[in-house]
Amino acid sequence: MLQERNELAFNYLYENYSGALYGIVNSIVTDKEIANDVLQNVFVNIWRKIESYDASKGRLFTWMLNIARNASIDEIRSKGFRDSQKNQSIEDNVDIAGASIGPSIDDVGLKKVLTKLKGELRILVDMSYFQGFTHEEISKALNIPLGTVKTRIRSALIQLRTMIQ
Amino acid sequence: MNTQDYISSGIVESYVLGLASPEEMAEFEQMCNLYPEVLAARNNFEIALENQAMQNAIAPPVELKNKILASIDTTPVTKIIPLQTAPVKNLNWLKYAAAACVVALAGSVYMNITLSNKNKDLESNYNSTVAELSDLRKDVAVLQSNPNVKMAAMGGLEASPKSFATVYWDTASHDVWLLANNLPTPPTDKQYQLWALLDGKPIDLGMLDYDLKQKKLLVRMKNASGAQAFAITLEKKDRTDVSTPQGSMYVLGKL
Repeated sequence: MLQERNELAFNYLYENYSGALYGIVNSIVTDKEIANDVLQNVFVNIWRKIESYDASKGRLFTWMLNIARNASIDEIRSKGFRDSQKNQSIEDNVDIAGASIGPSIDDVGLKKVLTKLKGELRILVDMSYFQGFTHEEISKALNIPLGTVKTRIRSALIQLRTMIQ
Repeated sequence: MNTQDYISSGIVESYVLGLASPEEMAEFEQMCNLYPEVLAARNNFEIALENQAMQNAIAPPVELKNKILASIDTTPVTKIIPLQTAPVKNLNWLKYAAAACVVALAGSVYMNITLSNKNKDLESNYNSTVAELSDLRKDVAVLQSNPNVKMAAMGGLEASPKSFATVYWDTASHDVWLLANNLPTPPTDKQYQLWALLDGKPIDLGMLDYDLKQKKLLVRMKNASGAQAFAITLEKKDRTDVSTPQGSMYVLGKL
């Protein structure tokens, strides 16, 4: 009985949200095979932590989206992934962020929205949201004062909001 | 600082996207509890983000679903272990196993009771906090719905940039209410003092009897007959003349 109910719940979550979550995973992890593994981790995590979801702090989708983003960033920061991509230092990642200003076929979802941002703001959002660097790390890597990093990211996010609404 | 400025500062997006610092998150959650318009802004952005993600959904490979389902334990926590008739020669092993089972069972029962008690404690704590917040919200709503009541949102100054507090001032009855949204706990020898500012002169509106344990967030202060702005300073407790501020200013806000 309980198992049946659990399977129903899982089916519901999977049918409704796996596509959107797979979209966000793919915007961070570009390798399809790895993205599949990450999506598996995402659902394992959702399943394990669902009891701790607190509706007063946000919508269920927001909660799952953040799990998907965190799992994706954990993956691209893992040693195996970094070795396979041969970009192990933050400086390398910065170069990649800088190089990705031009439009790319792989840009999907939020990343596509990101292309509408001006160069520098785009790099900042890319580094913080899609690569998971802290404000401090970005400040050091780009040699921009911490306060400036924060205000620019905030202003970029405000622009992003107007773009998705 | 008013709530509109706060909402349009980018904090809503930072919080929802998981880019806010733990301090910013705590502050934002408190703001959501206190101000329905902040909560509404969060909800609107969440819905926009969700719609955006839904429109850009990518269907995962079909075979992935079963693989994931297989890796997730959907079985209930209490598993039924089938009883087996053990051959005689395994009796010794079985004895130890049975003893181990009894110990495990006792442990499990103990954990269940402890966890259930902890749950009850958490639940009652949660319920009383929710009740307090809902009382507070009602009080604030009553103040806000009164057309005579003006609000001054006081933002943090250099001494404590993250602090903020709100004054509700009834221009008809001159009653003053202070909502200490976020003020650091003062050292034991100091206390907060509220001031009305009129033509550049501070007028004492009383000490904030700050007691975190009581969680009295909305406090009635001395009446003010006139004010253009309000401010809070941190003052020594043993001061003889309390009519002029001497300590540093923590928050300031115009009407």
